[in-house]
Amino acid sequence: MSELHPALLVFLYGLATALATGLGALPFAFVQNISPRVVASANAIASGLMLGACFGLVAEGTNHGAWQTIAGANIGVLFILATQRFLHGHDVEFGVARGAGARQMLLMVVVMTVHSFSEGVAVGASFGGGMSLAAIITIAIAVHNVPEGLAISAVLRPRGVSVAGCAGWSIFSSLPQPIMAVPAFLFVEAFRPALPYGVGFAAGAMVFLVFVELLPEAFEQGRRHTVALLVSLTLVGMVLFQQLL
Amino acid sequence: MPFLSDGFDRIDPVLWVLGCTSLAALFAALGVLPLIGREKIPRRWMGWANAMAGGMMLGSAYVIAQAGLSGAGREVLPGTLGALAGIGFIYWTHRASGTDEIELNRLNEDRPDYGYQVLLVNTLHSASEGVAIGVAMVIDLRFGAFMALAMAIHNAPEVTVLAAVLRSRGAQLSWAAALGVMTNISQVLFAVVVYAVVSAAPAMLPLVIGFAVGALMHLVLVELLPESYKVAGHTSIALSVSAAMGIVVLLEGVAA
Repeated sequence: MSELHPALLVFLYGLATALATGLGALPFAFVQNISPRVVASANAIASGLMLGACFGLVAEGTNHGAWQTIAGANIGVLFILATQRFLHGHDVEFGVARGAGARQMLLMVVVMTVHSFSEGVAVGASFGGGMSLAAIITIAIAVHNVPEGLAISAVLRPRGVSVAGCAGWSIFSSLPQPIMAVPAFLFVEAFRPALPYGVGFAAGAMVFLVFVELLPEAFEQGRRHTVALLVSLTLVGMVLFQQLL
Repeated sequence: MPFLSDGFDRIDPVLWVLGCTSLAALFAALGVLPLIGREKIPRRWMGWANAMAGGMMLGSAYVIAQAGLSGAGREVLPGTLGALAGIGFIYWTHRASGTDEIELNRLNEDRPDYGYQVLLVNTLHSASEGVAIGVAMVIDLRFGAFMALAMAIHNAPEVTVLAAVLRSRGAQLSWAAALGVMTNISQVLFAVVVYAVVSAAPAMLPLVIGFAVGALMHLVLVELLPESYKVAGHTSIALSVSAAMGIVVLLEGVAA
């Protein structure tokens, strides 16, 4: 592999991590019957996974600068509000769904895709530290992407998207990772100051999406204790997972 | 808070914990302010008050977890077990006290025992917050003071909701304020006991940090948020939670 340009290598590693996101759709191959209870549970699990992911993001962002991270988070919240407003004004379709279901799926895919941009920067910047750790970083990020694919599939699958479709959209949402990793790898110094803003943006957008769409719907359709337990336990699991990685 | 730094060697730390948490409990009385001069408040306000209180608790859970994960006694396994115990403790106290389906913001509930149940749930709720303050004090007395301040501010909107319920049941405003402070005495008690015990047995620290984080988070999810969504718009609730969370995280990040 020594003939390959390091930037191409970063791209290929990034692509491998993006493909891993598709694995998150797998558990849904085994869930046949999708009742409102299942939708509520899936929403709760997606909420826990996303809040857990933000736990790590915010920690990384505030390491680089608390004010910048919070500024980014505010922009993330405004981004969701603006996207919501835009989607409300349009009759959106997503696969077989229209209306509220389609809006939620679009929001989920958009948010997870946009959040991958800052993850891509983080990947590229970490490769910038030297290629000796490349394989370990790639495996770590690939594994970290699987629950994100699970979160996307948990929103898409109960609303009528096929398992293959869930895998496809999961991979799509991670494509910004290889795309952003390359310039971030080549121009580490230029990208580094933007990192806390980007990470804050991703965290703000994800937290707000959980509290404005996923959780209220989960509480409407599921039992209060079941939903709360699923969110809490998934969140703890996600944080543990990130710590062990 | 550098202006406090030279006072620490002269004041007994247990007294410091007692003083900080007592002030936090007293601060709760300010929660009746929105009720002055009116019989009841709009239910939307109760939703926002709960959402703000919940956001501050989630922000606090985050900063305590971060302090635990970055500190010297960084132990992931006991921390996780502690978090599971904290979640289980909240689940179990709701089950055992028969309050697992109770809604804490009903203004037209005329069952006689409803008022007592609401007071009981609020007292249990404050106990977990006391554990959080106590364990933060063990990590660092200044961090603990920050936590006590966050909990003090968050006590006010919680008492706004409690006082609205008590007022609707005929209690006087001053009595509602006093009961609001009293439900937070468990916060003082648990903070002091946890501080004393964990200081004496530092090996318990990761476990108790996990417990505090799990309990705070689960309280928000099971007590505060579901009711908030029912009485106010989803966007306003989400904004209240995220803003309160962000402020706690920012203040801690700037102070550190």
